[in-house]
Amino acid sequence: MNRQQSIIAAHGLTDEHDRLVKADELLAELQEACGGRLPGALAVPELRELVRQCRERGLRIAREFSAFDGQDKVGGFVRVHPVLETGEDDTDVIGGCEIIIENWLSGAQGDAQTRTSVDWLDAADRASAEITAQLDARQKLQFITSFSSDAEALCEAVEAAPGKLWSEYVELDGIAHEQPLHWRLLDGAKVTVPGSDRSWRARVLPVGPSASAPRGFELLFIANEPLKGDAHREEALENGELQHSRLVGSALTPVLRQPIARIVANAETIHARLAGPLRDEYSEYAANIAAAGQHLAGMLDDLADLEVVEAPGFKAAKERVDLADVAQRAAGILGVRAQARGISVKVDKLAEPIYAQAEFRRVLQVLINLIGNAIAYSPEESQVSVNVDEGSLGMVSVTVTDQGPGITKAQAGKIFNKFERLGRDSDGGNDTGSGLGLFISRKLALAMEGNLEVLPQQQNTDMPGAQFKLSLPVMPAE
Amino acid sequence: MGKMAIDRSQSTLVDAFLRDEMARGNRALRSVAPVIGHMLDSEGPSLFGDAIVARLRGMINDIAAQFVGELPLNPENSEMLKALVDVVAQQLASDETVVDHLYSVALEGHLTAKLKQTASIDPVLSPLMQELIASDKPEIAEIAMSTMAAQSRFAQSQNRMEMPVGELPFEVFSRVLDLFEAAPLGAGKHHIDAAIAKLKRAYDEGAGRIGLLARLSSSMHGGAIAALDLSHAGLALFASAMASLTGQPREHAVFACHEAQIVRLALMLKAAGLSAHAIEGQLAVLGGTKPLPDGFAALSQSVAQDTLREMSEV
Repeated sequence: MNRQQSIIAAHGLTDEHDRLVKADELLAELQEACGGRLPGALAVPELRELVRQCRERGLRIAREFSAFDGQDKVGGFVRVHPVLETGEDDTDVIGGCEIIIENWLSGAQGDAQTRTSVDWLDAADRASAEITAQLDARQKLQFITSFSSDAEALCEAVEAAPGKLWSEYVELDGIAHEQPLHWRLLDGAKVTVPGSDRSWRARVLPVGPSASAPRGFELLFIANEPLKGDAHREEALENGELQHSRLVGSALTPVLRQPIARIVANAETIHARLAGPLRDEYSEYAANIAAAGQHLAGMLDDLADLEVVEAPGFKAAKERVDLADVAQRAAGILGVRAQARGISVKVDKLAEPIYAQAEFRRVLQVLINLIGNAIAYSPEESQVSVNVDEGSLGMVSVTVTDQGPGITKAQAGKIFNKFERLGRDSDGGNDTGSGLGLFISRKLALAMEGNLEVLPQQQNTDMPGAQFKLSLPVMPAE
Repeated sequence: MGKMAIDRSQSTLVDAFLRDEMARGNRALRSVAPVIGHMLDSEGPSLFGDAIVARLRGMINDIAAQFVGELPLNPENSEMLKALVDVVAQQLASDETVVDHLYSVALEGHLTAKLKQTASIDPVLSPLMQELIASDKPEIAEIAMSTMAAQSRFAQSQNRMEMPVGELPFEVFSRVLDLFEAAPLGAGKHHIDAAIAKLKRAYDEGAGRIGLLARLSSSMHGGAIAALDLSHAGLALFASAMASLTGQPREHAVFACHEAQIVRLALMLKAAGLSAHAIEGQLAVLGGTKPLPDGFAALSQSVAQDTLREMSEV
């Protein structure tokens, strides 16, 4: 038993309602990444199902499992054991389950899940579509259903002249090609629905066993914003709110992430010569392709974030956030990267926790950005320190300090600009930033009613170090 | 009035019995053609060799006997025991989940024996198993040792046409418990519950042969691809690794090793990431009879994965 300890990667306990009540770090992180809390309902769907079965049947189950932590596929071999408690009349009652995970794996282990994640997206679109219709194999509209008042005009138009190509009833934005186009090209198109002020997105989903020769199609129109009362709508129009769409985050990122990951993975395979001997030059080219692919992937994530923070009415949640704890987590996440460069990240230990009123996820994002930058621009074998301070005027702050070349006054003036990279393109391709990180971080800080600033350089030495300070409103005492 | 009531109840009883028998007969009749068709299949080796059918029957009876053995019955009364075992066995034999799994076990036993004969592949201690047992990581070595022991018990019980109930995967095991519960045995409910509770307590999927094989191939991480070599890994580990790498049920992986399912095997190996050349080598070990289509070598891994997933949804 004891000899098996080292193969066990994570351990957890659930109660009789499948709530995760205790979990090791890895499992706790996964639980949080899946939107759950600790203690709280087990949020990893793949584990939840196993735990439910184990509890209901009272049987010990052992399975391979994999889950999506929001970025990567993670998984391992999980064993779920019922925890027996003695009930009233000496019979065994199942009180909950023990979760033991062996051989934890994370990262792009096999990319076989493409179709499943696409299925998820389709299901989400089906659930949120306000207008649904059915098309025959030639995309002629068969019938249409809607529950939204602003789609009445469309339904009437269909009733008046049924059986036409679906694209004749609506306006396709930016597609001037003669219809019908191949359905794949129309899937995801932006659409203007007659009689509706909202902007819509069309989904064309093939029906039938084969996607190459579908029997017909499911047509969904998904509104990009909810239907508002008339007064609201005018106001919103004035603010330009209706024009704002989440093209990158909702449409581009999900579609592009997979192929880019594949390009990177294949390029790395070639670079490592896993498939056989190769001339050095080609191996180098492959490394360049991989680096460019990674850059593209990072850029895509940043652009999606950018869209979110730039959306009118973007607001952050107000939670109680333990700053030292978040800093510790951010440092933990970047631990490997820091180690690789021999840099130590030192986070202040506090006697009393300092709480800010902010959104946990966003604070973590900002700190990862700051500490990540500090690691990237520090000399090897140096130290990055993170200090948490109780400020004045109802603000608390986290300061990240590195021992790098620092930031000059001129640079400090524009460092928070969009796409600003401060000439860091020239450092031999080490840095694959999009120039958006600090811009987004600052926007996030502002949205949480705080601020992000560069502290002025302290002395005039070679390596004065850069200092970034994130301030946030203090959590009011209850 | 009383007489009428009895008559009616009798007639409904008779009626139900007749209908039941007729329905059973209809089912049997419907399956005659496909079953005989398979048995007479002249295109290569049949999926229903006598050996496999005999193993299947033996295992079903063995599972039934293990359950009946837990009931407090007089062991002297062998007639009675045999009758009860038959009742339970019949219940098991009519369940798709149970039969599907046991079929795959029987096929695995059959193929293991065949590979030993034709390709001298050791059913228990393949070269890869030896390497894993000698692993410098004690925890892997330990799982490998347990796996070897389980594999050796498996070889033995296959020869005896037995199936320890604790070796069944979770879905099958819990289905079997349901069937035990539903079997018309006439025994007291608390006896049946006690017998089931005992079987449940003893059950641990992760300690069974298939569970151990899965843990072992998962502990190899990316190296599991090394197990995709029949003569290196042996059929048991080969099938588990292939199932794990392709995300397919292990039953399908075993089925793919039948010599009439060469194309399925080629597709699974491709999806798992093996090169066309290596795949041909594996097919040669199994002595496949169907040629692969031209251009199979050019098929990409992701296309193979998609095809596999699409086809196994049916």
